[in-house]
Amino acid sequence: MGSIFEKLWRLSPAAFVLKAIVVAIVADGLLLAFILLRRTYRKWYFARRDAHVFELRQIWEALISGQIPYERWRKKPFDRRIIESIALDEFETAGPEQSARLLKFLRASGLIEKRIFEARRLTGWRRMRALVALGRTRAPEGIPALAEGLRDRDLEIRLAALRGLGRTACPQAAVEILAWVGEVGLAVPALPLQSALIQCCAERPQLLLPLVQHAEGPLREVLGRVLGEVATPSLGLDLLQFVADEREELRAAAARAMSHTEPNLAFEVLNELATDPVWFVRLRAIISLGGLGDPRAVPTLLQGLTDANRLVRLRAAEALVGLRTEMAPIFQHVVEIRDRYGLHAYLTALENANLQGKLEAELQASTKITTEERQRLESVLQTGALPAEEAATAERIPDKAGLRP
Amino acid sequence: MIRFLEISNQTLFWYYLASNLAYLTMLIIAVKTSALHQHRLESHRLSWIKESPMAPPITVLVPAHNEEASIRVAVRNLLELDYPQLEVIVVNDGSEDRTFEELREEFRLRPVRAVYVPEVKSAPVKGLYRSEVDAGLVVVDKEAGGSKADAVNAGLNAATSPYVCVVDADSVLERDALLRIMVPILADPKRVVAVGGIVRVLNGSEVEGGQLRRVRLPRKSIEVIQVIEYLRAFLIGREAWAQGNMLMIISGAFGLFRTDLVRAVGGYRARSIGEDFDLVARLHRHLREKGADYKIRFVPDPMCWTEVPSDLKSLARQRARWQKGLLDVLWPNRDMLFRPRYGRIGFFALPYLWLFELFAPVVEIIGIATIILAAVLGVLSREFFLQFLLFGYAFATVISMGSVLQEEITYKRYNDWKDVVRLVSYCFLEHFPYRQLHMIWRLQGLWQYLRGDNVWRPLKRKGLASARVQ
Repeated sequence: MGSIFEKLWRLSPAAFVLKAIVVAIVADGLLLAFILLRRTYRKWYFARRDAHVFELRQIWEALISGQIPYERWRKKPFDRRIIESIALDEFETAGPEQSARLLKFLRASGLIEKRIFEARRLTGWRRMRALVALGRTRAPEGIPALAEGLRDRDLEIRLAALRGLGRTACPQAAVEILAWVGEVGLAVPALPLQSALIQCCAERPQLLLPLVQHAEGPLREVLGRVLGEVATPSLGLDLLQFVADEREELRAAAARAMSHTEPNLAFEVLNELATDPVWFVRLRAIISLGGLGDPRAVPTLLQGLTDANRLVRLRAAEALVGLRTEMAPIFQHVVEIRDRYGLHAYLTALENANLQGKLEAELQASTKITTEERQRLESVLQTGALPAEEAATAERIPDKAGLRP
Repeated sequence: MIRFLEISNQTLFWYYLASNLAYLTMLIIAVKTSALHQHRLESHRLSWIKESPMAPPITVLVPAHNEEASIRVAVRNLLELDYPQLEVIVVNDGSEDRTFEELREEFRLRPVRAVYVPEVKSAPVKGLYRSEVDAGLVVVDKEAGGSKADAVNAGLNAATSPYVCVVDADSVLERDALLRIMVPILADPKRVVAVGGIVRVLNGSEVEGGQLRRVRLPRKSIEVIQVIEYLRAFLIGREAWAQGNMLMIISGAFGLFRTDLVRAVGGYRARSIGEDFDLVARLHRHLREKGADYKIRFVPDPMCWTEVPSDLKSLARQRARWQKGLLDVLWPNRDMLFRPRYGRIGFFALPYLWLFELFAPVVEIIGIATIILAAVLGVLSREFFLQFLLFGYAFATVISMGSVLQEEITYKRYNDWKDVVRLVSYCFLEHFPYRQLHMIWRLQGLWQYLRGDNVWRPLKRKGLASARVQ
């Protein structure tokens, strides 16, 4: 038996081309017919749908209040789809009162039950659609069905279930997600998992702690990041165990989380994390220190201004500018450390916060600095450059990390 | 001689067949991928991204050179894009008109000493400004660098977000464009390093206040043909290549990149003619050499609308430039060909570009010459020639119709019946004489490059004037 190429060759180009022409012309005809038929059908469908949406909108209040019996439209798939889609769209933007009303309607009309049934029984894209709709209802009774969706073989369906659980934003959903994660590990990309957990754990971040303690590898990092987002002062002491963790992501998460805890405790820990060898741990610590707004952080933040990493310098400058304390002494320190990059970052933060005028006024009114010193500081503020003799010194300061700028 | 002509014609036949089969395969892959993408979007509601605390910040980089007519509207639209954490950096690239003054008046710019670290090379920066109206707007005023790449590099140095989105100042973006282009990144942030967005033809559409109100087909034939070309290139070509993680071009008009990686490869190459293609090629090289597990994705949702040339002269210049750009990138990267280290890029994507894009006009002209010669010498089978011509015509039409079908079943932005009828008609009409002209322009491009004319020159555009401004 010859190969396909031999058969093609035996046909000779002319005969092959002749057949190909027929195929191509038929394909052209079919494509054209498909486009035209599809357009015609869609035109008819959308005209019908629009008319129907309009009719249903007119009686919307009667529909959701149950004045019009649900049985009248529930068995008509076309009507049911439209009503569900209107209700879910309204749900996205509704306030608490309207949300409760819509949820009552979705329950009473059996739409939630139907979606739960579909989410459990259907497969493929239809299951995904049911999970998305169920998630959009944010109904707690949908959580078990959504949790089952997490165990689907198809990644897209797992993601739909995860996002749906995230939408419910309740601890019960967090429990389901964490149980599943504990069972199978990281079976979805990190970001959707983090988003869902942030939404669900906001109320009870303690739920995360046991799993973070026992998780390993990338999952530990992912959960640590979530912990950093949702931490509250109540977690204070529990967070301390992660400050010295071997994983830098977890140390960064602890630094992020510490800004939400008791200030005295956080201050000590963040001071320590601000000298971490990993830049993004230092960055997180500096941002959190800025968030605390404690003037005791000034020396650490000044140290941050001379950091080898650009982002750390910028955030340290922003934190310094954001402190609710006298600006003139801080500026004096910034000039004294004789770091061009640090000065530049500080002046940028000052300009971005539009506080240049305030600093100028403070410098003029200050009685703690000499006239000569004041002139020197004003000159630095206006020119953005260190005085000549000091700049020369600044050039001599070695770049220990060798990483600048 | 006769033997040579026979071999030449046979080669032409198989070349043409292979080229069309490749496109047919891409069409099938693209149709399938688009359907999957549509399904995926059902579970990924864009408003959820907007509300998510995990959505990473984006810096939109807008190089602007002599854009006084449209810069106010363009920047205002960018600032209104739907995205939670957005920074817009406009780079005034030595404009000789009032571009900078327009920006200063409209957005009340004040000078800042923002930390500008020249990590990638660009022409000197004269000053940095921040808007008092919107703190998210930064303007970099720099000396003319002679290329868009140079301007983007300056913006890159000022960017503070982990992702940068490069946008043309005269393009119109849909409000949710950034949310849509972020979908692949949010789904897999560790591996997705860049995302290409689709660029659609703006000419003829209705624009109000710089925003797209109604999509219409342009009036001129030359513009309609470009609509089909864009549909074919983006909805079939790029969609299919991206599916195999072999996307080689992310359009300069709208693309998203990881900032650290663009900086790591040295930013855009200022002297490059096809700077967008060049950057993606270098990203592939860099990541393959590091053995990284990465993805470069494409999002087919309509997001960016741009003006295309509306006269033959401008179109000829653009196409010659594209061909020069192609050679300008392929030649320095020839060492990637068939090297296992570069994987599918070296074995499939680059050979395809060499064979079916770069050499295509050369093969076509040789084909025409040998057919004429064969006819003169009396060795051309007239029957075979006509059949071959008809086959080529019908096959190419299938591909064009396929791209229209893709648009129809997925995004359906041309809602007017008249537009669809015209679009379909041009699928049949674009082959004569446009295709032959296109071949000549591309040959001109190659010739210019080989003669040493490889300087980047911007095209003259009408701005939003090509659209029906309301």
